[in-house]
Amino acid sequence: MSLRRRNFASTAAIYAMLSPTFGLLAVFSLVPFVWAFVTSFYDYEVGGESRFVGIDNYVEYLHDPTLLPSFANLLFLTVFGLLIVSTVPLAVAKLIFCLKSERARYLYRVLFLIPIVVPGVAGMMIWQGMIYNDTGLLNETLRLFGREDLTRGWLSDPRTVLWAVVFMGFPFAGGINILIYYAGLAGISESIHEAAELDGARGMTKFLKVDVPLVMSQVKLLTILTVIGTVQGFEGMFILTKGGPGFKTMVPGLWMYMNAFSFQRMGYACAIGVILFLLILSLTVLNMRYFRSSEELKAEGA
Amino acid sequence: MRRHWDQVVLHAVLILILSLTLAPFVFVIDNSMRTNSEMNHSFFGLPKLGHQLFAGYAYAWEVLRPYTLNTIFVCVVTGIGVVLVGSVSAYVFSRCRFAGRNTLFLAVLAFMMIPGVLTLVPSFLWVKKLGLLNSHWVLILPYLAGGQVFAIFLFKSFFDGLPGELFESARMDGAGHLTLYWNVVLPLSKSVIAVVAIVNILGTWNNFLWPFITNSDSKYHVISSGLYLMNRSNVSSNFATMFAAYVLASIPLLILFLYATKPFMQGVTSGAFKA
Repeated sequence: MSLRRRNFASTAAIYAMLSPTFGLLAVFSLVPFVWAFVTSFYDYEVGGESRFVGIDNYVEYLHDPTLLPSFANLLFLTVFGLLIVSTVPLAVAKLIFCLKSERARYLYRVLFLIPIVVPGVAGMMIWQGMIYNDTGLLNETLRLFGREDLTRGWLSDPRTVLWAVVFMGFPFAGGINILIYYAGLAGISESIHEAAELDGARGMTKFLKVDVPLVMSQVKLLTILTVIGTVQGFEGMFILTKGGPGFKTMVPGLWMYMNAFSFQRMGYACAIGVILFLLILSLTVLNMRYFRSSEELKAEGA
Repeated sequence: MRRHWDQVVLHAVLILILSLTLAPFVFVIDNSMRTNSEMNHSFFGLPKLGHQLFAGYAYAWEVLRPYTLNTIFVCVVTGIGVVLVGSVSAYVFSRCRFAGRNTLFLAVLAFMMIPGVLTLVPSFLWVKKLGLLNSHWVLILPYLAGGQVFAIFLFKSFFDGLPGELFESARMDGAGHLTLYWNVVLPLSKSVIAVVAIVNILGTWNNFLWPFITNSDSKYHVISSGLYLMNRSNVSSNFATMFAAYVLASIPLLILFLYATKPFMQGVTSGAFKA
């Protein structure tokens, strides 16, 4: 009896220790999660009455004028982001990895990490005010070379605005992605490289045939993160363009935000949020299922 | 000899990419010390010594100081909270046997699948109903709730890797879970604690939308929302002030980074980041 009571007491203690975690998750994660779905079936304005409208919000979104341009932009941003994240940081990581001096390798990794200290909002406004501005770096450089004719408002010209948005952060080498790839490269054992060299693999061939397949688990991680981040992300558009000119840089997330906080249409905004959630969920599942990481390939080969 | 030239080329390419990466920030620092008329006269140029080089900084700091203090406060409270709550729960999941352990752990991990874009609007409606708008708690509590999940994941995989004998011998000496957690596990976990803390501080420091929509009272602005509002006010017509503000907003993280480069790089390189 005493033993059982002690077990009971320790079980109670265990649940008590877990209670902050589950309390916080229930109040600040679970409630908003459930509420998102519920609200999406209502016509709801803050301060006004809420009215059950069934799937009307979803049906309306199918006919929304921003639907096509915003998903086309999203596709463009995702493809561009995936191309960048799977090439530039990997190449830079490999270049650093090829250096002979241990100290130089460390120094470059630290230096490429420096941009993370700049707050994201500041980084975007620096590109807006310093590079794309009328008297910014881009236009002034063109003037320096006597090409006044090419200068423009990069963020207001409908022909350049989307490119201006994706090129923010050029040459895309700063931040932790290099470190993630570097860790992957460092995890490849020396014997694999020696074996490849015995088979006559050199330089680029060796990189593509040996290194790239073996950092696939890092590529997979960054691919998932990029897709999730791009589908959700609209801070850049919010700060730089507000989706304009026209709907040239509109993305679904920004339209959701504007419906909620500019037009006070909370139910409609939640419906857009639910659609984005389902999109992210299915893309993540697809990625997990069909994109084999190196460990999974190894396990299958064995 | 060929090997030697390979290395020189590598350095040259890396330095070129690095210069392009850091160039915008160099221009920001440069132009934070030049007046509008100097900038309009010629974009490329160095600050002129002598006249008020730091006028922009003085004014920007006046605006940013309360926002900086708010951000640091929120970062510190959230960081300590996430480390404590996350490590206690991870310890329980890693070292205690109880009914429903795996189910509960998976339930925690499942919260990682909920994207912020889904919950942004309902979270706002909910904290408004709770009366939390315009306070530090409207930032701290949701950040704690969200931040702890990844922390539990990292802590648990670290605790799982600690040798079992360590715990057995401590138990032989009559140590309870509390002693084990506080005197044995935590002192061994400094590197993971550093990673969890830094990841959280970076997230909190960079978060813009949530503080922007939940705190309309300027008393509670953080750096990100403060910078954005500054950029939209008439201050922004003075380039030097805005650029000085960007520099000032980066200094606290730069200090943290200089102080914690090693644990941070170790953390990212430890292998926790792969799929």
